[in-house]
Amino acid sequence: MESSLLFSIATVAYLLAMVMYISYVAFRKEGIGKAASFITYAGLLIQTAALVMRWVESYQMGIGRVPLSNLYESLVFFTWSTVLIYVVVEWKYKTRIFGAFVMPVAFLALAFINVAGISNDITPLVPALKSNWLFYHVLISFLGYAAFGVAFAISMIFLLIDMDERGPVRDLWYALVAIVVIAPIGYAMAAQGEHMKQAFWMGLGVVILAWFIYLVTRGAKNKPMVYLFWSFCVTLAISMLVAMGIDFLNMKGMPAGESFKKHLFEATFLNQSLPIALVSWAAVIGLFYAVWAKGIALKKVLTQYAPSQDILDDVTYRMIAIGWPLLTGGIITGAVWANSAWGTYWSWDPKETWSLITWFVYAIYLHARYVRGWKGTQMAVISAVGFLAVIFTYLGVNLVLSGLHSYGGMN
Amino acid sequence: METKNQQGIVEVVSEKIWKFFSSVKLAVILLIILAIVSVIGTVIQQNQSPEEYLQEYTQGTVDLFETLGFFDLYHTWWFVLLLLLFTANLTVCTLERFPYAWKAMRAPLKPIEEDAVKALPFRKDVTLKTGVEQAESLVLAALGGKRYRTLVSKESGGTGIASQKGAFSRMGVYITHVSILLIFTGALIGAFFGYKGFLNIPEGEASAVVYLRNEPLWDKIMSGLGISKSPVSYVEGRVPALPLGFYVALQDFEVDYYVNQGRPTGMPSEYWSILSVYDQNRQKVLDKRIRVNDPLTHHGITFYQSSYGTIPNATGTVKLGIRPKTGGATETVEAKPGASVYVPSIDRTIRVTGVMPYGMRDPMSGRINFYQSRNDELINPVVDLEVFKGKSTQLLYRTQVMKIDSQEPNMPENYTIGYQDYWGVRYTGLQVTKDPGVWVVYLGFILLCVGPVIAFFGSHRKVWARIQEKNGQAVVLLAGSSNRNRIAFEREFARIAEDIAKK
Ligand code: HEM
Repeated sequence: MESSLLFSIATVAYLLAMVMYISYVAFRKEGIGKAASFITYAGLLIQTAALVMRWVESYQMGIGRVPLSNLYESLVFFTWSTVLIYVVVEWKYKTRIFGAFVMPVAFLALAFINVAGISNDITPLVPALKSNWLFYHVLISFLGYAAFGVAFAISMIFLLIDMDERGPVRDLWYALVAIVVIAPIGYAMAAQGEHMKQAFWMGLGVVILAWFIYLVTRGAKNKPMVYLFWSFCVTLAISMLVAMGIDFLNMKGMPAGESFKKHLFEATFLNQSLPIALVSWAAVIGLFYAVWAKGIALKKVLTQYAPSQDILDDVTYRMIAIGWPLLTGGIITGAVWANSAWGTYWSWDPKETWSLITWFVYAIYLHARYVRGWKGTQMAVISAVGFLAVIFTYLGVNLVLSGLHSYGGMN
Repeated sequence: METKNQQGIVEVVSEKIWKFFSSVKLAVILLIILAIVSVIGTVIQQNQSPEEYLQEYTQGTVDLFETLGFFDLYHTWWFVLLLLLFTANLTVCTLERFPYAWKAMRAPLKPIEEDAVKALPFRKDVTLKTGVEQAESLVLAALGGKRYRTLVSKESGGTGIASQKGAFSRMGVYITHVSILLIFTGALIGAFFGYKGFLNIPEGEASAVVYLRNEPLWDKIMSGLGISKSPVSYVEGRVPALPLGFYVALQDFEVDYYVNQGRPTGMPSEYWSILSVYDQNRQKVLDKRIRVNDPLTHHGITFYQSSYGTIPNATGTVKLGIRPKTGGATETVEAKPGASVYVPSIDRTIRVTGVMPYGMRDPMSGRINFYQSRNDELINPVVDLEVFKGKSTQLLYRTQVMKIDSQEPNMPENYTIGYQDYWGVRYTGLQVTKDPGVWVVYLGFILLCVGPVIAFFGSHRKVWARIQEKNGQAVVLLAGSSNRNRIAFEREFARIAEDIAKK
């Protein structure tokens, strides 16, 4: 397939662009920035060509369908729209600083496709998916997700710049102790079986949610906590990705028919062998410490020439003002489609519900501005959490929960 | 305090309640609660059987969740109560603010006082070389170019021009809020007067009732109060059945499978039912081929293609097509498995000796391999035939025909026999719904698509200009304001000033 080759080239281009944008931030050389932009444009063009070719290929295979119907295609489209939106922002706000944060999001999504080994076969569609609504639904939803991705990246910059200092080292120790306590509990519960594993993730979710609510309500008064939150988000993103990659490599040796979903994290955090599990958790602790210790250095670099916090806040709002109507449109087209296929526009299936939860989180963002005293920091935290909800809607529901959407197939 | 005393207790309390429900903070809190509660409903699988729950949880946990309603969370009284609180919040908040927004939108343009200009966020003075008359037309042109609607007034000190655009954008928020209320209303109408049901019809049969998953609330309430009798009757004392008021018959059901290298996989690419509707007098009203994503609607009741299956132990009718090798029309003959049929046009008797649901011819050897299909699904049926001379029992040859064949079966005589259908062994599974509220919901959807866009991308912008004469030159004092999108307005305001100065 020719399109795969083009997709690989685009992936390499995004990797290169990511490195260049980060060097641009680090060394402040105009030339590097220009080159980074150029490579990004080129990557975007190549990826666009690849998308079109994949479409054509599906017709050549006699299946003939929009390249938006499985996990692989939707992830590729997600990166494509993220980069597209980023390019528009770069052009409109005349700053390249966001590239250092947005391009990693795009690149990591593509890297995830590769490490997780998601099948890139052009598969036929079941009859329920044969509808024009599928196209609109996925297209609109993913454009929205991409806008949220950009908003997330900018919120992370905001949060980092917002910190005066890391806060007392004591906070770090509390956080590390929390991880050290959580690890064996998770390990022990996972050993009890599938549903204890689920209960564990659920409990962890509740803790994180409580933390989020605490942060939002306390807000600026608690900047060290926000810094911890920042470190936490970054650590979470990196370690989950790496762990899933290792899971995948491990899965290659598994008997056929074993599902990736069932063995999620069993190669690392939940490994049968205690030493390996311990090492995995230790690695996470190390990573967390590194992010916490070095993040503030990044802040120093960024503050020198990132746009002012007001502008960061404004761009975040603007991205959400684009993303939220798109998400709304995505949910609505999904509902209309379900109604034409099954006669119910809403059935509370987990995927639907999670998209609604995401929608709620961003609705909270939009209204929080009218609550007295809620400003930049809280908004950035809500925006960050919103994007975590997006990721969960998109991947977590299929990997952790069960439902009837089509992106379930990891293998 | 004095005014409070003059009010009655009722006013005080209702004012308090009104205040409570008009708060945005309450909205944010309710949204957070709704989000959290929804998460619970996705983590605990909904509406499973008790056995399935016991596999996952201990008896104690099951009992606890049962009491809390966690197994059908989105229909519990407290979830509905939460939605009601939210609706009240939304309604009160919208009612409270709407009059101000409406006034701000409808307020007529007024020339602005010189002092008031100083309070506006954007100001600029432009000195022109032209006279006052010409300056006025320049300003009007610049504003018109940006689609502002203008009002000119002559005052003692000079000419005043007031202009505005985008007043309607103030409605964006309200359109959005109302759309949510419409969606809730539509959902309520559906719950009260609509139902969801299902219907399995075998090929060649008809049904006059639909089996309900949930009874319309209205009927339930009315019959519960003894006001009217519910039209629902119970099949086997359990399954509620509702008369349709007409008959739906399944003429035929078909499935196409994805073909991989000439071999049908078990994965359906499309399936469809040919349905006929008959009225009470058994007169045919209409025929329609329904597919997934393409349902049939009659009298407000919609039939969706949802599933299909093979009826256990059923014998159907094999339909074969006889065609002269020299070309010509195909003649259809029907025979049940085990039965014979005499075909006069070729003077042969054909006997169907058996039907297998899933067979494939090996393209190399020409032999037919048979596969197991789940629930005897007819993936590629193979029919065994014996052909006899005339009406005798003299066997001429045996052959096998199938739906999709990788090669022409060997037919020794001057006609071919082809597979057409194995009819009467399948049923179609239909999802049946009546939802009179769906149009209200759709109207809400449309407004919900439009409202936020108006709210986010529009803004109510006003620009004032005062033109005065100073030393024979016209001086234009510009001032402007925008209710949102300040950065964009700042740019536009500067552009307008430039446009005036340029000429
Ligand atoms: C799911 C339900 C709701 C949706 C979809 C929704 C949607 C919106 C949107 C899109 C905006 C514009 C925000 C912006 O300009 O940034 C808005 C503004 C607002 N909403 Fe809501 N809203 C909802 C519920 C509520 C509720 C329950 C309240 C009750 C307090 C409320 C009060 C407000 C207020 C006060 C504003 C600001 C109006 C202004 O700009 O003058 N909303 N809403």
